[in-house]
Amino acid sequence: MKCALLSNVNVESIARQMERHEVHIAQGYGVWTQELADPTSGTYGSGPSSIFVVIDGGELLRGRRGLESTIAEVDEHLAWIEQAAERSPGIKFFVSTIDVPARALRPLKEERIERRLEQHWHGGIARASARHSNVYIFDLKELVEQKGRSLLYSNKRWYLGGLRFSTAGEKFIARELERILDAQRIARKKCLLLDLDNTLWGGVIGEDGLNGIQLSQTGEGARYRDFQLRIRELGEMGVILGIVSKNNEADAFEVFEGHEHMVLRKGDFAAMKINWTPKTQNIADLAQDLDIGVDSIVFIDDSPVEREAVRTALPEVTVPEFPVDTCELAAFFEQVYKDCFFTLDSTAEDRKRTAAYVANAKRAAERTAAPSMEAFLVGLGTRISFARVCDEDLPRAAQLTQKTNQLNLTTRRYTEQELRALQTTPDTEVFIASVADKYGDNGKVLVSIVRRKARDTAELDTFLMSCRVMGRFIEDQILDHLVKELRADGLSRLRVPFVPTRKNAPARAFIERLRGGRLVSDDESGAETWEFDIARASPVTKPSYAELLTQPTRLLEVQS
Amino acid sequence: MDERLIATVASALRVPTSTLTLETGPGDLPAWDSLAQINVVSEIESEFGVSIPIEQMAEIRHIRDFLGYLTKTP
Repeated sequence: MKCALLSNVNVESIARQMERHEVHIAQGYGVWTQELADPTSGTYGSGPSSIFVVIDGGELLRGRRGLESTIAEVDEHLAWIEQAAERSPGIKFFVSTIDVPARALRPLKEERIERRLEQHWHGGIARASARHSNVYIFDLKELVEQKGRSLLYSNKRWYLGGLRFSTAGEKFIARELERILDAQRIARKKCLLLDLDNTLWGGVIGEDGLNGIQLSQTGEGARYRDFQLRIRELGEMGVILGIVSKNNEADAFEVFEGHEHMVLRKGDFAAMKINWTPKTQNIADLAQDLDIGVDSIVFIDDSPVEREAVRTALPEVTVPEFPVDTCELAAFFEQVYKDCFFTLDSTAEDRKRTAAYVANAKRAAERTAAPSMEAFLVGLGTRISFARVCDEDLPRAAQLTQKTNQLNLTTRRYTEQELRALQTTPDTEVFIASVADKYGDNGKVLVSIVRRKARDTAELDTFLMSCRVMGRFIEDQILDHLVKELRADGLSRLRVPFVPTRKNAPARAFIERLRGGRLVSDDESGAETWEFDIARASPVTKPSYAELLTQPTRLLEVQS
Repeated sequence: MDERLIATVASALRVPTSTLTLETGPGDLPAWDSLAQINVVSEIESEFGVSIPIEQMAEIRHIRDFLGYLTKTP
């Protein structure tokens, strides 16, 4: 990915380590602020999607004595950062916290102005981040505190080349920056499955009993409680939690309901497989129940035998090594978070996800009970709301293009920045739809990008829908609506490309139930383009089961 | 010792070991510029637990020249 690295010290050596990405650098005293402030600077000219502002606190304070004058200058820097973020909403700005080593010789009676400066800077970037959705906090200070200044900094490199960090320090920083870039491109895992005995608590519930297992506020049992606290935080960030355990269900539920120090509750989990079936089978079933790929699952179990069994039978599941020393459980889990679930910002959609999967389980139960599929679909009381994307929708729309694999006709991935550009691209429209029913709000689940290809022809650049609402013919109803709108705008032909992937069989099934299509092109890779005459008829064959709410919009107006 | 030194230099320059011999020096490879030279010195210092004085850095013309610093320290 293209990014820029701005700093008040020499960061070229850090940039060289980020080999997988194209990194533009601008560095030096005064240079970084000019680059930031000037819209015609090389930094913006390089077309970055992310700009990292990595500030060395010691250098920021260099040659200054008084706190007030320093604060005034810092405020100026902060203002430039905010202005830049405001002017370039399509670029993400990652601004570092600062570490200011106390370098002056000073008696114990004097105030430590370095601490004040660090706090002042942090307050400034936190405010900027709250005000601008494209400003993020890169916590360099935390990295320094975790690793230690003697490891992270190097005096010799500073005097030799203005390089503040040691080679080890540069590696840590480069890794963090790459993690941030990767998080924008690579889909994170969706689901965490956990064992129970000796994982969520110490001991074996079936043998030790409710009062015998280790789980407490303080002391040894706190290892597990702290671990559970981290897991709950992950759940709150929108990761689906599930249990896969060999146990008697009643014994396990006794802990969830009756143990006073249990942090996680039954409601925190979208699915539980507590039985004596092999875990590999349970995990495969659970992926199917939740309608997610096994490659989006992370499985944590203390037993090396179970881990090996899962790795062998389901190699796509991520199975981290369990820490030998359980005092490291919480620290281990922080690493799992960074490796598998790291995200820049959890959207409101993410946070609702576990609830959505629980609601799905209820819908599935109702489907089984309903006299017919039609009766079930009508009984759901589904409401679809369909509109052009607005700025607030962009993060979710980008996320949908990046994560949706199954019902996705073309599997084209878009960043927020690219979608923002499409909003103003002529003859192109980006739509988003959200879905709710009597069991709850499924949130924004469908994205479609329609491009006008010729005077009378439109093409579906993208048409995708999250698997959480699949099987309800919502996609059919939305396509039918799109067709009507296009027809009203004078278009008579719709092209529907299909690019097959390992996972998008549901998209193929969708195409196959449309009628009147003519195959206009196909190639060796299996990619096809279907064309539909929409002047009089709709390709959609399924009846509408939902109520559709739209704002009246001209889609792709015919130019005279 | 020679191999470990060459491997350390290669890792600092982010080039394959096969592109280096004891006679390679700063400026011989595009990757070995003045910034890379600082990284080479840093990596050797941390890998071998030695310290190379700033004053003597200019005298290092080939990888071989580092050997003197490595053997001096027990």
